[in-house]
Amino acid sequence: MPDAVLIAERLTRTFGPRLAVSDLSLTVEAGEVVTLLGPNGAGKTTTMRMMAGLIPPSSGRVILNQTPLTAATTDHARHAVGLLTEAPGLWERLSVRWNLLTYARLQGLRDAGGRVEAALAQVGLSDRADELAGSLSKGLKQRVAIARALIHQPPLLLLDEPTSGLDPASARHTRELIGSLRREGRAVIVSTHNLAEAETLSDRIAILNTTVLALDTPAALRQRLAGLQVVIEVEGDAARWLTALAGVPASALGSRLTLDLDRLDAVPDAVAALAGTGARILSVTPDRRSLEDVYLHLVGAA
Amino acid sequence: MAIARKDAAELSRNPGAILPAVAMVFGALVPAFAVVIGAPMIAGETLARSGEFADEAQAAVGAVPEIAHLSGDALIQAFLFHQFSMLLLLVPVVAAMALATHAVIGEKQARALEPLLATPLTTVELLAAKTLTPLVFSLALSWIAALLYVLGIWLVAEPGVWRTILGLRSLLLFGLLGPLVALVALQLSVIVSSRTADPRSAQQLSSLVILPITIVFVAQLMGAYVLPLAVLLLGAFGCAILNALLLWAGIHVFDRESILMRWK
Repeated sequence: MPDAVLIAERLTRTFGPRLAVSDLSLTVEAGEVVTLLGPNGAGKTTTMRMMAGLIPPSSGRVILNQTPLTAATTDHARHAVGLLTEAPGLWERLSVRWNLLTYARLQGLRDAGGRVEAALAQVGLSDRADELAGSLSKGLKQRVAIARALIHQPPLLLLDEPTSGLDPASARHTRELIGSLRREGRAVIVSTHNLAEAETLSDRIAILNTTVLALDTPAALRQRLAGLQVVIEVEGDAARWLTALAGVPASALGSRLTLDLDRLDAVPDAVAALAGTGARILSVTPDRRSLEDVYLHLVGAA
Repeated sequence: MAIARKDAAELSRNPGAILPAVAMVFGALVPAFAVVIGAPMIAGETLARSGEFADEAQAAVGAVPEIAHLSGDALIQAFLFHQFSMLLLLVPVVAAMALATHAVIGEKQARALEPLLATPLTTVELLAAKTLTPLVFSLALSWIAALLYVLGIWLVAEPGVWRTILGLRSLLLFGLLGPLVALVALQLSVIVSSRTADPRSAQQLSSLVILPITIVFVAQLMGAYVLPLAVLLLGAFGCAILNALLLWAGIHVFDRESILMRWK
């Protein structure tokens, strides 16, 4: 996979007797946003920490930009990964610029001052650079933390709940920022509880509960895992047309027939079968299952 | 170095962390001048009129040869100022403890450790940075206190007394034992801070270092002697060994994974 920025192969991590992550595999390419979606304790943060080289996996391996992550190559990870932790973790007595400048120096950047200004511009905080970090709102602190993760221009960004606790405007700004990172060609892994956000933000979603339960595009996840429901409204009592739908799981209520199909192109056949037996069809409405249904189905089953 | 600079900048904006250290300077200086200069002045007496003081000062000449050429009030003042100089050791200790606990617990409270550990900073570098700023600050403060001590003696004591403070003994006390004791306090504070979330509890536990110094000081006063150079050297040697042990423990406590998983 030539464009793979990150390859996680069968990652497993235990803490004493507790299994935090089990057999997790994931590949993320440049310019791709992948969301880790899962309940509390599903192993999202542990997975991100392993990917950032902060903690080693008990088994399995992480390959960052074609370099397998080992004790000897963790320095590589620290230059290749930008990590946004769940809490912004800013030094509140220092200015925004001081905060970022310290990180630019820790990354050994030659033009540390220039990079700080560029990162500030990227998150729209150039005019707040001299304010104390502690005086900023939660949303602005989060932006500073994102600027910090971007300071060394890493090809991979790991964002742990980037919009958690933000007001709608700040959350939207953060999502737009993530979109711009994707356009810049960076690989982004986001962990979130927010299903709507995952759906709008992600190229692919990994539903996680210790291990990857499902990994696909939002549309494919909805369709593949929960199938497709189509509601067909007919004239009169719908129950008498059930026999026309032999082989198709369907139920009738009043004048409505609800069909559970496994793919969208099965709809014309079902409609033709009904029409062929004399049913007068008033409307056909695809009723897609929400991502929430998929999520709850998978996590509940696990 | 970036973290040490950051810590210094944070410290300069945190009067709450610096205040105990600065207060200790006055706490260490005032008793000496109150006892040696203030009390006789209030009583309208001279120290030399107390035969007990005179005998004790004379007996201390063996341990502190710098005062041998003095007599009368000057000899007693010099003897007492040498006794009280032990109190100045508390300045770097208190400063180191106050600043180190804030340096580590401050990071924990700000939840700034995880993003820090995601940088190329090694854990040993982090440990060194967390030690360096408080050490430099506490040593600077202790040398300022020593300077004020000598300056005060020059101003208010008998002529020639201040010169006796500038000997090898003071060099050993402020140049070797002071830094080593401060480093013990610092390392202990950093290690204790890693296991607690409250700066006050860390400082309370680290005050174990203050206790021996206070005991030595009180023992000096009670026994009316001044610790000889050899004992100070032995103390410095003991502190050096203790520092090596604490460094070893500190490196183990500053394990990346422990910091992430257990430093809550």
